[in-house]
Amino acid sequence: MDNLLLDSFVRLLGQISPPEAVRRAEADGAAAHIVHEVDESGFLDALVPESKGGSGLSIADVVQLFFAAGEYLLPIPFAETMVARALIAASDAQPPRGRTIILWPSAPGGKLRSTLGPSGDSTSLALVQRDAEFRLLPIKLEERDADPFRMWSASPMLDATPLLQFTLAHVDLLHWSAAITAANMAGAIQRLLAMSLTQVNERQQFGRTLSKFQVIQQQLSVFAERSVSAQVAARIGLVGSELILDGGRVAIAKSVANESARVCASIAHAVHGAMGISEAHDLQLYTRRLARWQISFGSEAYWQKHIGQRRLQSKEPTAVEFVRSLLAAGPETAH
Amino acid sequence: MIALTEAFSRAIIPAIAEDFRAQVKSFLGAALPGQPPHVRARTWSAFDAKFSRSLAERGWLGLTLPKRYGGAGLDAFSRFVLVEELLVAGAPVAAHWIGDRQSAPLILRYGTEEQRQFYLPRICRAEIFFCIGMSEPNAGSDLASVRTKATRTDTGWLLNGSKVWTTYAHKSHYMLALVRTSGTADDRQQGLSQFVIDLSLPGISIKPIMDLCGDEHFSEVFFQDVQLSADALVGEAGQGWAQTNAELAFERSGPERIYSSLILLDLWTHRVCRASSEPHEVRLGRLIARLAVLREMCLAITQRLANGDSPLLEAALLKDLGTEFEQSIPQEIADAVAADPDAQPDDELTRTLAYLMQISPAFSLRGGTREILRGMIARGLGLR
Repeated sequence: MDNLLLDSFVRLLGQISPPEAVRRAEADGAAAHIVHEVDESGFLDALVPESKGGSGLSIADVVQLFFAAGEYLLPIPFAETMVARALIAASDAQPPRGRTIILWPSAPGGKLRSTLGPSGDSTSLALVQRDAEFRLLPIKLEERDADPFRMWSASPMLDATPLLQFTLAHVDLLHWSAAITAANMAGAIQRLLAMSLTQVNERQQFGRTLSKFQVIQQQLSVFAERSVSAQVAARIGLVGSELILDGGRVAIAKSVANESARVCASIAHAVHGAMGISEAHDLQLYTRRLARWQISFGSEAYWQKHIGQRRLQSKEPTAVEFVRSLLAAGPETAH
Repeated sequence: MIALTEAFSRAIIPAIAEDFRAQVKSFLGAALPGQPPHVRARTWSAFDAKFSRSLAERGWLGLTLPKRYGGAGLDAFSRFVLVEELLVAGAPVAAHWIGDRQSAPLILRYGTEEQRQFYLPRICRAEIFFCIGMSEPNAGSDLASVRTKATRTDTGWLLNGSKVWTTYAHKSHYMLALVRTSGTADDRQQGLSQFVIDLSLPGISIKPIMDLCGDEHFSEVFFQDVQLSADALVGEAGQGWAQTNAELAFERSGPERIYSSLILLDLWTHRVCRASSEPHEVRLGRLIARLAVLREMCLAITQRLANGDSPLLEAALLKDLGTEFEQSIPQEIADAVAADPDAQPDDELTRTLAYLMQISPAFSLRGGTREILRGMIARGLGLR
């Protein structure tokens, strides 16, 4: 990934997605201006091949953008739209402009494969997958109070006439949803760490800044370890070619991101004390989303079971050989 | 923190190093006798000079050292592959482990040309084995308070003091020791120097200490008026602390900080999980997922070593996470195997598990305690 590209994306995020903007989008679900700015920037077409008007970046190239979107809590389904546009382009259709797209992997019976639905914005459409069949559908944005985490959960109007319809073999939207969630989590955790470091460097108790207490130092070291783990894990998940991710890689990404979120959110809250529980403090913007992401698109147990089953099905004699074969496809084989 | 993140960016084992793996595997398949898992679980704590010599005969000791000193001139990734295969097989590698991992790179970096020419080829031939003299009776985690003292004489140095918990001092030929050459323990990091000490010299006595498993893997070393020649000093007098830190980046960054319980994990996978998979899939998957992430981090640090960096902070972070993982394996498996008191126990599995349940607290002590490592990370975060 070109650093200039990342820098320009981060600059854009600083302008359009500061905590005040995240709060405004949360309050009314209206993010049209943010969608407009992001669409104009071209980043939503990063995974679309150059021959089809995109930037032709590889999956591994855009991981940093996903981290950054998580770090700024960009209140639109950014990575999801990027992937949906690439899938639509792969089917030789034209992705719709000015709209975001949520991903809706569904089970054979039609149910969404997640405990909670994805959150969307006022411009969102939904890319619904059932087996190899994909449909782009309009959505219904639920009332904010309908969502247990007070977000704007969106769901497709399954009986509506699809804007687009196509089939793609081997692509599993659950893998994409989980891997994107893991990357967003890793980004948000990194920001939480920065906030927590600021907090312990400024806040005084017992006549000293919190940072001078060994118990605080040790906890923040653990935080940093888990933050790095989540990022390394998310990067493992987002490797693939032809827009196909590997379930085993995704399982590593989401399960470890979840474990990190649990540890890191807990330490972040501990060092912020009661003020971190208040609505007025920005901490809750991050920890509320992390909690929601933990139970979106499979928990640790779901994905750990997936890896455990893969390990037991594999003929590799040792755990290390299994891991090596699972991770054998490097970014050089990414599309 | 952004910097720490980038330090762990993805690294890939080059094809030449990956091709080396097949050679190592085929050698290990033939060289290792059919040792039971509870013996193989001791791997880098098990001393077998004959096995180390058989690696040396293949040119596999000092893999990253220049050829002119008897090394193979390969990069850190080839060494990663070799070390990974040795650990996964549970090979008894303790005899050459410390010399190969840290003493040789230290002498290469800070030693004189004469020291390099003397020690390095002998390390590569497995003729001499090294131990590390850091801890003392009153200086454990507080390493800067070492009191063992070397005083300058007309011909060299006079050494007095003692070291303790020194891994295989009683079976090694040389110790690379951190000792005080000026000032007192109150001077902390100032006035420390590194020496390579010939353990056969008069005035040195070594007593093995039995560990809680009944093994004798570490010892106490006493120095009484030991005459060291001038060329026993490694690097510069007074620079011992900085040199030791560079050494610790090698000591803490390898896969042995992740893999110490894998013999048990593989045994449990084959004997229990394959027989009755359903109840164990989640637990097994949890361990494998963590292993995958840690291995990627270890490769990222290997890349840094291959670039010639000294990633001390990253190594501390990996070691803390890695040893936590190594320690979680016996705990997870203990919970799983005794979940059904009516099940028929598997003797070999129980023995291997018992060994690791007893020894695993050492994983986060040896090579720097958990608390010290977290203190280093906190400093890296700007908190100290």
